[in-house]
Amino acid sequence: MTAVTDLPTQNSAQLTAGAKAALITVIVGAVCLVLEGIAPWLVKWPTAWELPATQWVGAFLGWFLNLIKPAMRLFSDLMTYPMDWANYVLGNTPWPILIGIVTALGWYLGGLPMAALGFLGLSFVLASGYWAESMNTLALVAVSVPVALIMGGGIGILANEVPKVKSLVQAVLDVMQTVPTFAYLTPLLLLFGFGPVVGLIASAIYAAPPMARNVMLGLERVEPEIKEAAIMSGGTRFQQLFQVEIPAATTQIMVGVNQCLMAALSMVIIAAVIGGFNDIGWEVLLTMRKAQFGESLMAGLVIVVFAVVIDRMSGTLATERKRYDSRVVWAMLGFAVLFTLAFRNWLPNPSELTLLDPMAEAVDSGLTAFTQANGPWLDAFKNNSLFYVLLPLRIGLDQAVLPFTWGFQWTSTMSAGLFAAGAAIALLMAWRGRLTGGLIVLILIGMLETGIANLPWPFVLTSVAALSWVAGGWRLAALCVGLLCTILVSGLWERALLSLYLSGAAVFSCAVLGGLIGLASAVWEPVWKVVRPICDMLQTIPLFVFLIPVLMVFQIGEFSAFLAICAYAIVPMIRYTRHGLVNTPEEMMEAAISSGATEWQIMRDVRAPYAAPTILLGLNQTILYAFAMLVIAALIGTTGLGQSIYLALGQADVGLGISAGAAMAVLALIADRIVQGFAEERRAALGL
Amino acid sequence: MKKLSVSLMALTVAGAAQAADMGAVDEPIKLAINEWTGQHVTTHVAGEMLKAAGYNVEFVTAGMMNQFQALADGDIDATLEIWSSNVSDEYAKKIDEGTVVEIGDLGLAAKEGIAYPAHVADLCPGLPAWEALKDCAQVFATAETLPGGRLVDYPADWGTPGADRMTGLELPFKAVPAGSEGALIAELRASTERKSPLLITFWQPHWAMSAYDVQFVDLPAGEEACFNDPAWGPNPNAINDCDFSPSRIFKASWSGMEDKWPAAYEILSNYQLAVEDQQPMMGAIDVDGGQVEEVVAAWMAENEGKWRPVVDAATQ
Repeated sequence: MTAVTDLPTQNSAQLTAGAKAALITVIVGAVCLVLEGIAPWLVKWPTAWELPATQWVGAFLGWFLNLIKPAMRLFSDLMTYPMDWANYVLGNTPWPILIGIVTALGWYLGGLPMAALGFLGLSFVLASGYWAESMNTLALVAVSVPVALIMGGGIGILANEVPKVKSLVQAVLDVMQTVPTFAYLTPLLLLFGFGPVVGLIASAIYAAPPMARNVMLGLERVEPEIKEAAIMSGGTRFQQLFQVEIPAATTQIMVGVNQCLMAALSMVIIAAVIGGFNDIGWEVLLTMRKAQFGESLMAGLVIVVFAVVIDRMSGTLATERKRYDSRVVWAMLGFAVLFTLAFRNWLPNPSELTLLDPMAEAVDSGLTAFTQANGPWLDAFKNNSLFYVLLPLRIGLDQAVLPFTWGFQWTSTMSAGLFAAGAAIALLMAWRGRLTGGLIVLILIGMLETGIANLPWPFVLTSVAALSWVAGGWRLAALCVGLLCTILVSGLWERALLSLYLSGAAVFSCAVLGGLIGLASAVWEPVWKVVRPICDMLQTIPLFVFLIPVLMVFQIGEFSAFLAICAYAIVPMIRYTRHGLVNTPEEMMEAAISSGATEWQIMRDVRAPYAAPTILLGLNQTILYAFAMLVIAALIGTTGLGQSIYLALGQADVGLGISAGAAMAVLALIADRIVQGFAEERRAALGL
Repeated sequence: MKKLSVSLMALTVAGAAQAADMGAVDEPIKLAINEWTGQHVTTHVAGEMLKAAGYNVEFVTAGMMNQFQALADGDIDATLEIWSSNVSDEYAKKIDEGTVVEIGDLGLAAKEGIAYPAHVADLCPGLPAWEALKDCAQVFATAETLPGGRLVDYPADWGTPGADRMTGLELPFKAVPAGSEGALIAELRASTERKSPLLITFWQPHWAMSAYDVQFVDLPAGEEACFNDPAWGPNPNAINDCDFSPSRIFKASWSGMEDKWPAAYEILSNYQLAVEDQQPMMGAIDVDGGQVEEVVAAWMAENEGKWRPVVDAATQ
């Protein structure tokens, strides 16, 4: 929330939108600060004003779920058939044949490199000893992806055919992607009954939006000439759509298929939390429960391998490709069959293979050695980060500065001094013609003194309203305030602020650090060679796996949660920053070089401004990722909305789970819309 | 409702016992496999007993917190190791509905308490007596808990028994909820490996008790009066100034099980497993790396006297 402050400010005679917004925020903040003593309800929303919204939601959902339960159970029963078939086929195919098929498919799609990737990937899975579990996982993905594709495709076509519902569909897709899956597991269990079908539905819900978005985008981008030709040749609307427009949009739709596959795979672990069948996610959970980092990393890597193989292979579908010799395909399949027949009595049972166990043990003892050797300075690092950064951010300087943390006690004189210094800076900057900047400095100092968790609610509402007004006008401001009010009255405000603080701190660190790494990767290729595979792994490995090493080193608590969130949320920031900086148009670069600009000047004045919209998009993704990770981080003992979701899951409290999930989605949506508003503005300024 | 079997075999042993009807022998009985090894042992032993009685058994993985809906729907037929200290509210709801029924104690004597890895006794002399903690709080202090000591408590959804003890006994500790069992284990492991101080809420039987040499703090005995009467115990002004109330470990089944597989229902109802039997099997799996099926099979072969009578009583 602090990264997007450099609004264009001209002179102070005519107040800019940003300055007005900041001024109002400062005034409200000051009023709250003054009245804090006599009106405690300004800081803390009184319990008496809370509506029993979670109960209402629970009661309504209970009624509604029971209403549609029979239909859903029927659907669930129907889905068990394809599920059983997929399980049967994958579970009973001898492994050499399956490896042969994947290798042959790799060859067909992408020649030798793809074939090698498929072969090596599946060999790794075989060697890990998780073959049977992996096949169960694949069966789940094999059924959930078609469901997601049909669902997503249907939604996309609907939005294309009925433009009126488009904005509604966008909102629904946002909700499907931002409400944490854990929040709706309980209602899903109630609806669909126990078993793999619930995991299947959960992953289909999560995987459908990317498909829908790409179908919409693809259909939108079909050339008007092509559409007209279809109309003129006299086809019905149905024919136009399926015989002309969809084929024309194939490339974009294939991007959707690829994204859909990846999303479905990343949900595998969630399906395992419910249980129902013995898949690779369940193995990750079991090893995680025993804090066996090596083993859980191996099980997690199996998922990464699948993700990489599926991603690269389906990625070729989205690009124009050349045909590879199909005789090689038949040769590979033939060899696999012959191999199986020849050695069928000597094939080792894949569940008994333990080739990678030494590796797992090495990783595990490596972690032990690391924590033993580096204990003191890691502790010091953690304590300093907590004392001087995280604690003040959460509870404010007035509570965080104590004799045993900073060495002295914070007094009200110091608060006054801090505010005076802030006011002086603000005045100085206003005098220099940067009123908005000055006011923002004042606001930030105020927030640091109070702490995010203790911010008065009127101040939060006003500042969000002001920020969203600057970013996107009145409508966005009204939307944001309305959504925030639902959290306020539902009694989840305090937890929401804690979540906001943790993810805010993480997003800020990711923005700075990720931006720098992205910059380094953009200017120096070898850095990217190292960073890229790390990014791939961080994105596809089940998030749970990160938790063990972080816990071992930094113990239970906020700092560990903070690091775990950062590890995941930093990836989009790195990727988008690099992408934006690398893809500066040639002619702009040439113009800059010919005008004699130095390398540094080009970076600052040409590449960075041009990359700004892309970088803002990266920030937006980082925010969404940070919120997604918040739920997982609750497993290390954070106290925000993530914990509520687990509590609800444990107690099968549908109302609390959905409300907390919705609150999280609200925060993510607001952050997303505000950042998108600024990105839009930058794009407009660049004439894109 | 035990029906008298009319089978010929039952008639030949007439009068010896009231054998229960086998019921739907062709359909598999589905037993829940939860997330921890002890439960795997418990369930596999029960599964082998049912197989010995002539049933088909299917083991179904199920999240401990989420299994009760499945149990109510009959998607799972029984779950055999429910800890009273850690059971979701949903269980009570399903019991009230009558869709899930409790089928007796497992007989596993569990203990929960405030615990520490053995090396911590050097850092805080006077342990295991709880009074020692009054003066040692500084040793356990961390950035989040200063000036108090840090107690790693159960994950928030298991309740806050550790925090309750600290309040009841007026110990200067702040309880930090762990978030998950994996987090508790990671704390124990890190503390043991780094020889760093740790106070943690923990339980036995658990494989980590021996793996990390975990000791319990001696607290005043957890009598009923302690939880109702503030005057009881060392702190005259508070309840909970004592050890944990003894936790019960019990079994539950789908309500339709008794009618569908009467003999199996009887076997599971009478099934008992002792800590002395479960703990070595857990060690053989988690510490020595054995497969649960093999370890259980070996135990079944050696200890037929402990389980065969329960099977025979139901089937003969």
